[in-house]
Amino acid sequence: MSVAVKLLVMFLVFASAAIAIFLAVAYSTHLPVSEQHDVQQHGYAIRGRWFLALVLFLIASFAASIPFYPYMSATAALAPARKVPVIAEQYAFIMPSRLPVDKPIIFEVTSRDVNHDFGIYNPQGHLIAQVQAMPDYTNYLRVIFHAPGQYTARCLEYCGVGHAIMAKTFTVGGK
Amino acid sequence: MLTSDNTSRRVMALYMGTGLALTALMMFAGLMLRASQAGWMPMSPGQFYAVLTLHGAVVIVALMLCGMGGLWFLMRRQTSLSAATTLITYACIAAGAVAVIAATLFGGFAGLYTFLAPLPFHGSWPYWSTGAFLVGMTLITIGWMAWCMQMLGAVLRAYGGALGALAWDFVWHRKAFDASGKPLPPPEAFPALMAGFDGMLAGMSAMLLGVALVVRWLDARVLINPLWAKNLTYFFAHTYANLIIYMLAALIYVGLPYATGRKYHTSTALVVGWWCSMLLTLTNYFHHLYMDFVQPGPFQYLGELSSYLSAVPVTVVTIFSALMLVWRSGMKWTLGAIFMYTGLIGWVVGGIGAEIDATVPFNVHLHNTLWVPAHFHTYLVGGCVLFAVGWVFLCLESRSMRRTGALLRWLIGLLTFGGMAVFLMGFYCAGAYGVPRRYAIEPPPGPELAKIASIGATVMIIGFALAFAEGVRLRFGYPDQEGDMRIEQGG
Ligand code: HEM
Ligand SMILES: [Cu+2]
Repeated sequence: MSVAVKLLVMFLVFASAAIAIFLAVAYSTHLPVSEQHDVQQHGYAIRGRWFLALVLFLIASFAASIPFYPYMSATAALAPARKVPVIAEQYAFIMPSRLPVDKPIIFEVTSRDVNHDFGIYNPQGHLIAQVQAMPDYTNYLRVIFHAPGQYTARCLEYCGVGHAIMAKTFTVGGK
Repeated sequence: MLTSDNTSRRVMALYMGTGLALTALMMFAGLMLRASQAGWMPMSPGQFYAVLTLHGAVVIVALMLCGMGGLWFLMRRQTSLSAATTLITYACIAAGAVAVIAATLFGGFAGLYTFLAPLPFHGSWPYWSTGAFLVGMTLITIGWMAWCMQMLGAVLRAYGGALGALAWDFVWHRKAFDASGKPLPPPEAFPALMAGFDGMLAGMSAMLLGVALVVRWLDARVLINPLWAKNLTYFFAHTYANLIIYMLAALIYVGLPYATGRKYHTSTALVVGWWCSMLLTLTNYFHHLYMDFVQPGPFQYLGELSSYLSAVPVTVVTIFSALMLVWRSGMKWTLGAIFMYTGLIGWVVGGIGAEIDATVPFNVHLHNTLWVPAHFHTYLVGGCVLFAVGWVFLCLESRSMRRTGALLRWLIGLLTFGGMAVFLMGFYCAGAYGVPRRYAIEPPPGPELAKIASIGATVMIIGFALAFAEGVRLRFGYPDQEGDMRIEQGG
């Protein structure tokens, strides 16, 4: 399953569960009417459990996501890697057109004018990595390209009327 | 207990009428954008981005007006609020909106409403339109802050200062509080307090940035730190967008008890929930800067954690209580009830989309893709707009003592919500496949999905148009029963 399908499935599963609950509650208005007091007695008990379950789920998800953060650790920053400067400007990326496969690369991304974003699309068109390109700052993005082929960098921060045509294709591997 | 006077009613009608009218216009602007992405409506990129700036800035202001008018009406029932002040506020915002409309439609300003410095000064549009846009946004912020001050002042005066309005003693010293006989703020006072307080902070950061930008506009040698500016932009834009939801949610606190004939009181869970919302909303905005690797690291963790936790008060308190109100209440599904209840669904589903995007590792794939408009259209169109429309219908139904027939209700529901689902799924699918947001011309599969989405949006607009016609019939088709609205607390 591609990342896109996974994200969509995850969204649809959660959303359908929520909608199902709403529909069930909506349907209950056709059942015999209950006293509000009785509803509350049951409701508060369920609410307590829901509160606990939700908080635990959210904190567990938070913890589970941390190892996958894209920020470079100090050790990764010191490890040998090919440094590739990327300069974004309205409406182009100044960067090499050929990059090595299976080698760690650190993109040093900055901008010459306004805010841009350096988003890397693989040959299948999936967005695999990105980082903002901000004037006066350099963002370091570490990537290893495992598959050779034609990649495309697209701007993902609105930068003016040419934003949608701001792209640069580059080849990974070969020569 | 008749709970509204004519002045409140007119103020609410003014704010909500303007807000909903602007929202309706902007739906057509939105449809133009989507149709243009589908390749059905030729627009130059310059035109596309000017319309996008218009669409974004004006709908946010429009829904804010709905929230301000609704909450003002609710709070006026128990606090003293001056109608004159609120008319000045309205005039300020209206003048600002006119400036924004002029800057985008006539000046072609296309820096977007979440303008990130220094973009407004590097555009292809005339210099004056940047100034007009900035002045417009400043006027809107001044109006907004005046409303916040008025609301905050009224709430603090009515419930005995900050601690009273926060219901501090009610939570910590219950016995003493009960004995003291002090007034306990009703549920809708908490969104009012939150809008007033968080809104002031957001307004202050908008003004700070606004002043910096205006100075930069006057003197091009002035330097603005782009990371600082980005933090301020997202702090106020995110907080505004969130407050819109929380303000309109106040309508649920009064509307649903009315529709279900049940009571809704301030409880400890409600109070603590609102304390949390008030705080978490201020730290959530960090999730807009996940892809800024130069942002101090702890903020990224804080952003994810607080974005996650802000789901807790919403679903455990407001949504859960709403479900308990409806559960086996025998509620009649009038149009007002349908819209309000469906608005809760849009709020939750949009929230799910937001939480997925607020997860840093997923954000790598979703940041600034169409997933972002996907989730916020879900809770703005499928949540906020429905709360406002539902509220208007509850008022009209209670005033005319009439209900819409089953056939028409089904028709409106199917068209509106069916069209909306298709329209929104177009955004979600495109976002998951990495199609960037804010692209006048999208890479595949963007244009194909834009076609489907445009059809969905058209169907949804037809549904809303039918609802509008039905609203007009309810308003003018029946004689005024007692010349007053009977929206009351506790039914
Ligand atoms: C028929 C209804 C609507 C349609 C077809 C529509 C369509 C769109 C489209 C195509 C975009 C640009 C997406 C992109 O490529 O980035 C957009 C942006 C936006 N829309 Fe809508 N929209 C509709 C209604 C609304 C409503 C009712 C609201 C608010 C209540 C809203 C709020 C926004 C906002 C805040 C933006 C972001 C602007 C920006 O990126 O600067 N839209 N909409
Ligand atoms: Cu760009």
